Amino acid sequence: MAWLVVRLAISLSLLYTASAVFEDQVGKFDWREQFIGKVRFALFDTHSQASKKLLVATDKNVFASLNSRTGDLFWRHVDKTGPEGHIDALLMYGQDAVVVVGNGRLLRSWETTVGGLKWEAVLDTGSFQAAALIGVQDFVKYVAVLKKSAISLHDLSSGSQIWVENLPDSDTVQYQTIYSGGNGLVFVLGFVPSSHIVIVEYKIEDGEIMKKKSVEAAWMSSLENSCAVISSGNLLCVDQTTQSLYTLPLQSAEHTEMRQIHLQTLDLEVASGFQPVLTSTQPNPAQPPLAEFFLQLSPDHHILLQLKDDLIAPLRDFNPSYLAAFATSGEKTVAAVMTPKNDTACSINLFSADTGRRHLDTTIIYHMDPNGGKPNRLYVHAFLKKDDSVGYRVMVQTEDLTLTFLQQPGRVVWMREEALADVVTMEMVDLPLTGTQAELEGEFGKKADGLLPMVLKRLSSQFILLQAWMAHLWKLFYDARKPRSSVKNEVTIDTLSRDEFNLQKMMVMVTASGKLFGIDSKSGTVLWKQYLEDIKPDSIFKLIVQRTTAHFPHPPQCTLLIKDKDTGLGSLYVFNPIFGKKSHISVPALPRPVLQTLLLPVIDQDYAKVLLLIDDQYKVTAFPSTKNVLQQLQDTASSVFFYLVDSSQGKLSGFRLRMDLSTELIWEVVIPTEVQKIVAVKGKRANEHVHSQGRVMGDRSVLYKYLNPNLLAVITESTDIHQERSFVGIFLIDGVTGRIVHEAVQRKARGPVHFVHSENWLVYVYWNSKFRRNEFSVLELFEGAELYNSTVFSSLDRPHPPQVLQQSYIFPAPISTLEATLTEKGITSRHLLVGLPSGSILSLPKMFLDPRRPELISEQSREENLIPYAPEMPIRTEWFINYNQTVSRVRGIYTAPSGLESTCLVVVYGLDIYQTRVFPSKQFDVLKDDYDYVLISSVLFGLFFATMISKRLAEVKLLNRAWR
Amino acid sequence: MQYIKRLLDVYIALQALFALSWGFSDTEPGPVAGSQSNGDRFKIEGRAVVPGVKTQDWISTARILVEGEEYVGFLKTDGSFAVNDVPSGSYVVEIVSPSFRFDPVRVDITSKGKMRARLVNYIKTSEVLRQPYPLQIRSGGPHTYFMKRETWGWTDFLMNPMVMMMVLPLLIIVLLPKVVNTNDPEMRKEMEQSMNMLNPNPELPDVSELMTKLFSKGSSKSGGGTKGSRSVALKRR
Repeated sequence: MAWLVVRLAISLSLLYTASAVFEDQVGKFDWREQFIGKVRFALFDTHSQASKKLLVATDKNVFASLNSRTGDLFWRHVDKTGPEGHIDALLMYGQDAVVVVGNGRLLRSWETTVGGLKWEAVLDTGSFQAAALIGVQDFVKYVAVLKKSAISLHDLSSGSQIWVENLPDSDTVQYQTIYSGGNGLVFVLGFVPSSHIVIVEYKIEDGEIMKKKSVEAAWMSSLENSCAVISSGNLLCVDQTTQSLYTLPLQSAEHTEMRQIHLQTLDLEVASGFQPVLTSTQPNPAQPPLAEFFLQLSPDHHILLQLKDDLIAPLRDFNPSYLAAFATSGEKTVAAVMTPKNDTACSINLFSADTGRRHLDTTIIYHMDPNGGKPNRLYVHAFLKKDDSVGYRVMVQTEDLTLTFLQQPGRVVWMREEALADVVTMEMVDLPLTGTQAELEGEFGKKADGLLPMVLKRLSSQFILLQAWMAHLWKLFYDARKPRSSVKNEVTIDTLSRDEFNLQKMMVMVTASGKLFGIDSKSGTVLWKQYLEDIKPDSIFKLIVQRTTAHFPHPPQCTLLIKDKDTGLGSLYVFNPIFGKKSHISVPALPRPVLQTLLLPVIDQDYAKVLLLIDDQYKVTAFPSTKNVLQQLQDTASSVFFYLVDSSQGKLSGFRLRMDLSTELIWEVVIPTEVQKIVAVKGKRANEHVHSQGRVMGDRSVLYKYLNPNLLAVITESTDIHQERSFVGIFLIDGVTGRIVHEAVQRKARGPVHFVHSENWLVYVYWNSKFRRNEFSVLELFEGAELYNSTVFSSLDRPHPPQVLQQSYIFPAPISTLEATLTEKGITSRHLLVGLPSGSILSLPKMFLDPRRPELISEQSREENLIPYAPEMPIRTEWFINYNQTVSRVRGIYTAPSGLESTCLVVVYGLDIYQTRVFPSKQFDVLKDDYDYVLISSVLFGLFFATMISKRLAEVKLLNRAWR
Repeated sequence: MQYIKRLLDVYIALQALFALSWGFSDTEPGPVAGSQSNGDRFKIEGRAVVPGVKTQDWISTARILVEGEEYVGFLKTDGSFAVNDVPSGSYVVEIVSPSFRFDPVRVDITSKGKMRARLVNYIKTSEVLRQPYPLQIRSGGPHTYFMKRETWGWTDFLMNPMVMMMVLPLLIIVLLPKVVNTNDPEMRKEMEQSMNMLNPNPELPDVSELMTKLFSKGSSKSGGGTKGSRSVALKRR
């Protein structure tokens, strides 16, 4: 029976499907950009000369292969978020890439051409320290993984474990490095802070400890950056406090202490407070490393040194220099050094590693973005040219996570903005009008100055419009003659203008790294970017559009509130969202932590909406705070209410604004924290329109909606997580009076709860822990058959509680985000956009989430177009708005109305960004894409000619009859 | 190291005792995933096949998701997979690929590490329809993401019932007089007879005529209006 009902529902749903993509619409108005995140490891495939592969592992737990010629992804593997998917190390040998994942838990070998896994090995628990490829007799055969208390050796071709050995005295000694010079031995280096270094020597075949020695090193504080192994097993360390280098041959038995070389003897000095860094290179894991190494003495001072016959000699001093890196191609090893050229550019030069001599004609000029950060990583891809000289390309990563790939003599081959892998919040802003449109608009804004000048002005502006139209036609004609490929629709900041249906908008995106982007929503081109320095990690951002583009002479204005996570102190950054320029407006200082922000509909004389910031002493700061604004605030203060949430104390409190901008507490709702904790509070969206006040029932009566704009949805989760006792609570609270309008408890349920609060309904998803499935539940609030006050809604005057209807459904998939579509006037039916972990975005008609879905079909329910109730919600791949363009780790879905009522703009962000348009009720206000112009015109012409001919025939017939 | 192993053994034994209370005979599945953090970790294994497609063409975009993104696995070059470090519990294992469709499978793991796979049924969650374990998942073909455009063809147009209703009477009107010879007097008589048969009672006044007379009188008095114009039209007929 249930099956039948489901069948019926599905067949019915077929009738109602609206939002589906047609194959010819692919890429027409949608685009996707894929990102990887901040690069932690990058390796160029030097296996063959023609290889274009660049393997990267990032802090987003992504392992990917990039095309080094274009910057596109060959393939990408997105692992679990959090420490369990964290990539600890990336090693590469030949076609295989070995990755250590999850604090040394998994060892994976990837086939890099296909992008498939070759083998995967599970390692014992223990915190990961280091991994290295081990070679025997010029062949790399093994990979060694060093944990805090054990070392294991694995076969490189199968992943099988050869041996695992416990490290001696691992509770006192911190083992940090592995070294092998290809001579059948593995050295594990550890140290006891401020005491001594421990060197353990293992035999590769069976893991037998060959030798173990400890060497005095009282100055030692860390092995990782300040020590390196160079030239056939010499351990080299640098120490800042003693200003010296220390060397020790690893293999010889007679050396029991490290040889100290004062940096002064080399005429060098480490900058005070800087931890010096040693960089060595081992081009082939089966052979000892080179004798040359870099020593970084200060943030912008590197020196290339060489160890020869137990003597350290400087080869070349690079002062100043930002970055230095080694690269090997064939037998030649080179060093690339980035040195500052002037304020905006750096030059990168190539030096031969063994002599320090500069290679001629190898300069690459790197232009720094004035709105970006400083370069902080340099990856070099060296290759042999036909004449056996060394050529190279470099990839530069900057603080603001831009990857730039450069070629000689400074040509940018490609660029990736990896900050966009972590979009925190975004807004869509209308584009400005063109000059001519603005001219026409401006006419209405001005005061009338006589009839004749107005007529003349109108004529002149009409003439300008005509001119612009002619120019447009001419351009169309001109472009039509050229082959299609050569016509470029380059979007630049100057050519930006609103289209006739307002479908193209500016996407302002705020990323976690503190970089702001302005992206054209039609093409996905980054039009402007701005890096905000000194932003602490994990800051909280809130983006507010204070003035839209609608007030023509005034530029649009966005305000970004940046709040420090620990102190709660905030700062404001005001900018123009179209051009990305910082506005020179005096910003109020925020000496106290900001608890809540409130954008009022009150407008100052420059048409900017007023933003109220409430601090922890419940004092209110207004921005802008001109006299005009303060006056208006005093007038409206009695009707300004706001709420604060303190989830640690389970307290919701409502405040009211006083005339002197202080506040008074009106209500307080306490949800005891011992039982449940508040996880989310959401109001309705301010820009949402509801078209119809009620629903017409089957019997022609009207069920009026309870449309309370002040309603807050509060979601709580139980502190008890046992599957029998856990629950999810839903409170609907009026934000003005603090009255609990409705309360619901979902037993045997737990979070994460995703919910959408809109119009008169609340849709939420929870995990049913008894049946282990996701369930959707919908709450709809109605006033009943009569409206209490049809003209205005007041929270203070509501004698009747609303009728609440609820229904729940099974959703046969996990969920990562939930959002609802939004249109200009709210006439179009609503759809829910569900982000699935697979990366698909499901557009689910709200019609399926209607608590009035009947169990038995009646004449009336059929009249109302209600779908009969079915417990399981259908998921159809035709409803995936992003077809195969999956979006990894969906974090948020942003919906914005367009100028067309039928169309809603959707931006999905997460690791990737996807932009599209959805038509929840089909495109009812524009001609369809496949509108058959040929057919309609041929029919018209056919009819026209048919009438002409029949008219002629009729005339002839009449004439003939008259003659008869 | 040895000590840890022994400890684990003891733990497993304890777990096994505990697990006796709910074995496979128990249709109501066991504790929720995630609530056990210090328990044993197991491995879900299987193989995925897309008939007619080489593995290297699809595995780089596919992933194995266990219970959403709670545990993630990747496919090997031969199409087999393993998801490591999964504690005991019941999970929905799904292969996600942007190009091919795979049906999800529910995998139950006891605290002893015994595995079984069954069909996912969200409505009757305790129903057990066994599936092979290690998992053998065959793709059901490519995803259908796109709706078909309604194309316009002559056959579609002609087979439309409305068009049929229009065209057939037209054909009858045009063709019938040609087929039947109206000049034949016998035939005419026959037709007249049949027409009279249709008209049940010729003596009875025709309603329409009656109305026409009535309204034409009324219209001349009241002077027009819609009814008047209609009556004119009727009169003309």
